[in-house]
Amino acid sequence: MIVARKRFRLEPYVEFAKRAIAREATYRFDVFTGLGSFVVRIYLLRMVWFALYAHNAAPAGLPLHTIITYSAVALLMGLVLDIDQTRALHDRLHDGSIATDFMKPISVPLYFFADGTGEVLFHAALVIPGLILALLFVHIDVPSFPVFAAFALSFVLGYFVGFFLNFMLNCTAFWTLEISAVQLIVTWLTDLLGGQIVPLILFPAFLGKVVYALPFAAMFSTPLLIYIGTIPPSRYLEVMTLQLFWIVVLGAISTVMWRAGARRVVVQGG
Amino acid sequence: MASASARGSVRRLAGVYREYWRINVLTTLEYRENFILWSLFTLVYHGSAIAALWIVLARFPSMNGWSFRDMFFLYALWMAAHAVHNTFFSNVEGIPERIREGEFDRVLVRPIDPLFQIVTTPGQIFPDELILALATFIAATLYSGVRVDAAFVLFVPLVVIGGALIDLGINLMIATIAFWFVKVDALRWIVLQLEQEFTRYPVAIYSRSVRLLLTFVVPFAFMNYFPAAYFLHKTGATFSLPPQIGLLGPVIGLVFVAIAYAFWRFGLDRYQGVGH
Repeated sequence: MIVARKRFRLEPYVEFAKRAIAREATYRFDVFTGLGSFVVRIYLLRMVWFALYAHNAAPAGLPLHTIITYSAVALLMGLVLDIDQTRALHDRLHDGSIATDFMKPISVPLYFFADGTGEVLFHAALVIPGLILALLFVHIDVPSFPVFAAFALSFVLGYFVGFFLNFMLNCTAFWTLEISAVQLIVTWLTDLLGGQIVPLILFPAFLGKVVYALPFAAMFSTPLLIYIGTIPPSRYLEVMTLQLFWIVVLGAISTVMWRAGARRVVVQGG
Repeated sequence: MASASARGSVRRLAGVYREYWRINVLTTLEYRENFILWSLFTLVYHGSAIAALWIVLARFPSMNGWSFRDMFFLYALWMAAHAVHNTFFSNVEGIPERIREGEFDRVLVRPIDPLFQIVTTPGQIFPDELILALATFIAATLYSGVRVDAAFVLFVPLVVIGGALIDLGINLMIATIAFWFVKVDALRWIVLQLEQEFTRYPVAIYSRSVRLLLTFVVPFAFMNYFPAAYFLHKTGATFSLPPQIGLLGPVIGLVFVAIAYAFWRFGLDRYQGVGH
C-alpha cells in the first residue's frame, strides 16, 4: 500500500492564529489592566530617572533623555515579549488534552507557534495605545530609519529567543506538572538580566561580562542598545549573529525536549 | 455569664487557629518540592529587587540624599511588614475570586465569623518569607549603620506590625469592593504596584499628587518611608511633616484596618450573592 505523502498546508495554522487573536480580544478586561499597569510604570520610571539624574553626574554616553527613551521602549517591548505564548502547551499537558492533539493531522509544535503568534499579534496592537499614553508622560527619541529598521529586525530575533525560552519552560511540564514557580523565577531573572529594568551597560564590570553571555540579553538588551545607538552599525552583524546563535541553540534544545516529552506523554487522567 | 461564653468562643477560635497552622505545616511537608520552588521564587523576587537597587545606586550614589545602604534598609522594612501580612493574612487577597466562584456563599452559612474563616483557610502557607525578611532586616540594619537603641528595638516591631495592618487594610477594602463589582483585578494590580514598586524609592521623588496618595489615601508611605526617614535621620521627608511622623505607622495601621473592617462589615451586610 502506498501512503500518500502528507503535503504541508499553511492555511490551518493561519486559522489557528486568527482564532487566538479572537480569543484574546474577549479578555478585554486584561487589556485594561495591562495598559493601566503600563501607565503606572511609565510614571515611575520617569520619576526614578529624573531623581537619579538630578543628584548625580550622568554616566558617559547615557544622558537623561536617552535612558528615558531606553526604559520607555523597554516597557513597550515588554507588552509583547512578556507574553507567555506557549502557555497553551502547559495547560494542555495539565488537563491531558495534549493526547488528542497528537491524533490531529497537524504539527503540534507549529500549532502552538501559530496560536502563540496570534496571541502576541493581538498584544502587539496594544503598543499603539501604549505609545500614545507613554508620550503623555515622557519624550521618546526616534532614531533614523536605518537604525529603526535594524532595531525592528533585532526585536524579531529577540522574540524568537523568548519564544524558545518559553517553549522549553513549558516543555518541562512533560516531566513535572507544577511549573508556575519556575516560570515566575525565570520571568524575574529575564527582566533583570535581560536589561529591561536597568540597561546592562550600567551593570558593574564583572557582572556585565556574565549577563552579556546569557541568552536574556539577546531578548531585550540587544534591540534596545541598537535603538539608543550604543551599538553602532558596525557591530550590527556581530550582535545579530549572537542572537541567531541563541535561536539555534535554544531551538535545538526545544526540539530535543519536545521529542523526548512527546514520547512519554502520559495522560494525567484528564 | 456573657463573659464566660465569650471566653469559650475565644478559646474555640484559638483552637481553630492552632489546627489551621498544623494543617499548613503538614501540607507544606507533603508538597516539599513545590515548597522549595516557591521559597526559591520568594528569594529571587526580593533578591532581584535589591540587586536592581544595588546596580543603579553603584552608578548613581544618591537618590534624593539616600544611598544604597539607606535604600536597602527602606526595602527591608517594607519587606518585613509585607512578609508579616503574607504569612498571616494572605487569604484575604483570594476573597474576590471566592465571591466570583460562589464559594464565598458557603462561608456565610457556617457559625464562625466569615473573615476568620477566610483567614484560616488552610493552604501551602509557611513562614519562609517571614524568616527571609527577618534575616534581610537584620542584615540591612547592620549594613545601614542605623543606631540601634532602645527606641529602635521598641518601635521597629510596632512599625512592622503597623505596616502589615496597612497591607491588610488595603486588601480587605479591595475584597469588599468585590461585593459590588465582581472583577476587581485591574484595581488590585494597580494598588499592588503602588505598594510593591513605589515603596522602593523615597516618596519625596514623586509628584505632589502621588505623595498625597501614598501618605493619606493608601498610606503605604507609613509602611517604610516615614519610619525609615526617622530612623536614618533623613530630613525633608515630605509636606514638611516632622520626622516623628514615622513613629505613627502603628497608629495609622490600626486606624486604616479599622476603617477597612467597618467597610467590610458594611459590604457584608448588603451582599446578596452573585447569582450562582
